[in-house]
Amino acid sequence: MDKSLFRYIWKHSRRDQLVIFAVVFAQLPFYFWSLELPKRIVNEAISGNAFKNGKETARALDFGFTLPSFLGGSKIVLFEGFEFERVGFLFALSGLFLALVLVNGGFKYWINVAKGALGERMLRRMRFDLVSIALRFTPDTLRRVKPSETATMVKDEVEPIGGFIGDAFVQPLFLGTQALTAMTFIMVQNAWLGLIAGSIVAIQFAVIPRLRRVQIRLGRQRQLASRQLAGRVAEIVDGMEAVHVHNATRWERAEIGHRLHHLFDLRFRIYKWKFMVKFLNNLLAQITPFLFYAVGGYLALQGQLDIGQLVAVIAAYKDLPPPLKELIDWDQQRLDVQVKYEQVLEQFSPDTLIPLEIQDPKAVVDGPLPGPLAIEDLSIYDQHGPLIEGLSLAAGLPVHMALVGDGPAPSVLARALSRRVTGLTGRIAFGEADLLRMTDAAAGRHIAYAGTDPILFPGTVRDNLVYGLRRAPRPVKDMPVDRRRLMEAQRTGNPEDDPTLDWLDYEAVDATGPHDLDARLIEALELVGMRGDLYQLGLLGYIDAATPEEDIARFIEARRKLEARFEGMEKGRLLETFDPGRYTRQATIGENILFGAPRTGSASPAALAEDPLVREALDDTDLTDDLVSLGLKIAREMTEIFRDLPPGHPLFDQFSFIAADDIPDFTAMLRRIGMKGERALKAGERGRLIALTLGYVEPRHRLGLVDGAMEERLLQARTRFRELAGEDGPVAFHDPEALNLAVSLKDNLLFGRITHGVADAERKVMHEVMEVVAELDLKEAVERIGLGYRVGPSGRLLSAAQRIKVNLARCVVRRPDLLVVDGATTALGESEGMKVLKRIVEARPAASLVAVVRESATDTFDMVVRFDGTQATVEDRARGRERGVQEVAAQ
Amino acid sequence: MTLETEVQALRQVPMFREIDPARLKLLAFTSERVMFSAGQHVFAQGDPSDAAYVLLQGKADVVIETPNGPLRVAQLAANDLLGEMGILSDAPRSASIVADGDVTALRIDKRVFLELLGQFPQMSVAVMRELAKRLERTNAKLAALSA
Repeated sequence: MDKSLFRYIWKHSRRDQLVIFAVVFAQLPFYFWSLELPKRIVNEAISGNAFKNGKETARALDFGFTLPSFLGGSKIVLFEGFEFERVGFLFALSGLFLALVLVNGGFKYWINVAKGALGERMLRRMRFDLVSIALRFTPDTLRRVKPSETATMVKDEVEPIGGFIGDAFVQPLFLGTQALTAMTFIMVQNAWLGLIAGSIVAIQFAVIPRLRRVQIRLGRQRQLASRQLAGRVAEIVDGMEAVHVHNATRWERAEIGHRLHHLFDLRFRIYKWKFMVKFLNNLLAQITPFLFYAVGGYLALQGQLDIGQLVAVIAAYKDLPPPLKELIDWDQQRLDVQVKYEQVLEQFSPDTLIPLEIQDPKAVVDGPLPGPLAIEDLSIYDQHGPLIEGLSLAAGLPVHMALVGDGPAPSVLARALSRRVTGLTGRIAFGEADLLRMTDAAAGRHIAYAGTDPILFPGTVRDNLVYGLRRAPRPVKDMPVDRRRLMEAQRTGNPEDDPTLDWLDYEAVDATGPHDLDARLIEALELVGMRGDLYQLGLLGYIDAATPEEDIARFIEARRKLEARFEGMEKGRLLETFDPGRYTRQATIGENILFGAPRTGSASPAALAEDPLVREALDDTDLTDDLVSLGLKIAREMTEIFRDLPPGHPLFDQFSFIAADDIPDFTAMLRRIGMKGERALKAGERGRLIALTLGYVEPRHRLGLVDGAMEERLLQARTRFRELAGEDGPVAFHDPEALNLAVSLKDNLLFGRITHGVADAERKVMHEVMEVVAELDLKEAVERIGLGYRVGPSGRLLSAAQRIKVNLARCVVRRPDLLVVDGATTALGESEGMKVLKRIVEARPAASLVAVVRESATDTFDMVVRFDGTQATVEDRARGRERGVQEVAAQ
Repeated sequence: MTLETEVQALRQVPMFREIDPARLKLLAFTSERVMFSAGQHVFAQGDPSDAAYVLLQGKADVVIETPNGPLRVAQLAANDLLGEMGILSDAPRSASIVADGDVTALRIDKRVFLELLGQFPQMSVAVMRELAKRLERTNAKLAALSA
């Protein structure tokens, strides 16, 4: 990107700018004309100057111009116009005036739209350029960049720049010419009035920018302060665990408070300046009409100026301050935006970027990674000194190489082999190809790196696993081309690739489509030892549109089989099956009323208690008051039972219905009710009490609140709720004959609740589920649903080990020629890690593997690089063996 | 059966007899009612001690694993407390408890129990008193045996 904002804008939008210029110039005569016309209306039509000397008619709507005197000064008439009598003449001129207003409005509209489009296009280009640059940050640069600050810069800080770009050239031209026209017009009418207007303008231009300079300086400080605030907030959220562990919330609060004060102070000062400038501007603008009335009026009285001229001058002056003010605004914006641009650019101008040609998206990769691997005199330094010194080795591919040693060196070499390190001397080459000069496409295809700190993207397990297979969009035949999208992309230097297409490279993993691919993904997860977890995730997952019909039918069959099994086990008391006509004792009152799950949003008791449909169903079945009373009983019991525990005691969170913070509220509420009766409850309190009741499960909480009669009435509420909500409404109801897309697969299979208080029920039930799933050959179907499990931001909904495994599987699944495992398996535990590596090698013996492992785990490798500090010794077991064989042969 | 009946059952247990009813309600509420079928282990000898139980309904056998197979040494009935020594001493289960017919018991979680003891000294004193009484009885028995 260019250092200067204006050059950047000009370079990329020259053509559009010139078109707008042309239109701006084209509209000038019309503008001047619209200034001129009022004078004619007043003087000729109203005062009747055109009808002096007994003329009955006057000519209007004629169109022509007078050549300047050096061209002969003759008048060229383009259109003769018409003759009008007096009233007609007035209306003709007024009509013309209206037409001019419309024409000028039209011009303004077109110019504004064109400017807007121009600005938006440039904004798009600029944002894209910034992200493109960020994609080229070297690993070293990345260490110094704060992600959240980068995000604010791309998102927020360039926004005003984009808004300005449309105006950058056009605005001063447009407004300048407009102001100049108005000034010229006033000058032509009367030089004195012109001078007055001119001097006020001069004052405005001299004083106001000076005042605004302060404002800009403050604005710049504000920009930095708010960017840092965004950075700090992100740091706190990312590091929340550390904040809590070290009890630093008080300090963090103080720190943020301090920043906010600084920000407030800056913002407040900016306000003060802003309104001060505004005041001055208004004052100057108002003083001028005063001078016009006084001086112009005097001149008119003296007969040096006719009334029409004065009206026209005042009308023209009305048009003068807005463009001037906007011109000054523009100038301020220019300064402001330039500073912003420079500041953003500064953050995006690291010393080194990855060269553009390495990231060529169209680069072609063919053939496998060439061998042999040759490392020649490799040294790697960081700011603290050498990490690896003078390492040389050669190995034919495939190689299974273990990197061993204390300290950072093994990991650094692993990172270097996968191009995660830049500051190195010496050479790493595969065959003829220097690793550092390989294109990203080639390196990405051939080499995969799995570290201990896996990076997962929000989305499903599947999305994460196939991330490395998103290679190129697959064109779909006969797909309508969105020409507008393509054209805009070309105009803004954006890519034309459509991310909504299927990008997956199925051939690379011997798959023909999504179904096959899932099988490959499951295989990869099995290699890294995550298939069991995947099954569990599948049970927690949701059936989606991608689940095949036959799977759904078999899931329902599994549900029936399970129901039959559970009926025969332990007197059928392991599980209570959902039945539309029966109260489910093991479920909460809320779940019983809903008998389903909301398609979106929460089904927590508090949410249900606020839900208008639930409340209506309760009202219609006369249950509201009863549930409030039950809520009161629960509140009474809870406040009594937990009375003597200090707030924040762990037992609270585990057992109480009521959060420790709310106990005082409820205690106060109960005291008031005790004195005034239930009528003293406020509407909000009734809601809270209903929420307590909706979370109640009789067999679990055992307060003896729900008896048979109550169950019957709650069933009526269930029926009423279903009527109110409708079958395709906000709630997906439980249906014995169909799966419920709003609840997890596990809930769908069980179709009921595990009974509270049956010893070991959960384990027994899940065991039966496992058996039935295996019996009906549904394991893979469950695992496919597991692939659809959402991993959350940075994969936080997975355990640390699961994240590492998903990351490793993501590398394995794209079948790299060289897999670099940097401690990922060590983090899984030694024996598990060894097994994983062994399975990976067995699955693709022709591929190379480089792994950072402990000395005790080097058995399966044919080459071991042992680091002692920065120096390494290389043990080549394969060659040793070969030599051994030859020696035997020679004897 | 409701919380009230459980509180009544807890009051029948010597160790809890002198504890304030409000505390017993807390103990009952934070405990879990568990049903066991005939022959099912409430816990097995050698398991880590994670909870104590109060029998609410049914009978259970105390079984010790011997080299000659399991040996039934006692039978427990309603309102009996079992497994409490294990959670106090942090020792593994010294015997198995097997349901003799359907059994309902109140499961007092070790962590919750210790939490309550820590919170309410009165409860700790009641438990200590009961333990001291048992020790006294054992001493008396020892004296009788050695005499």
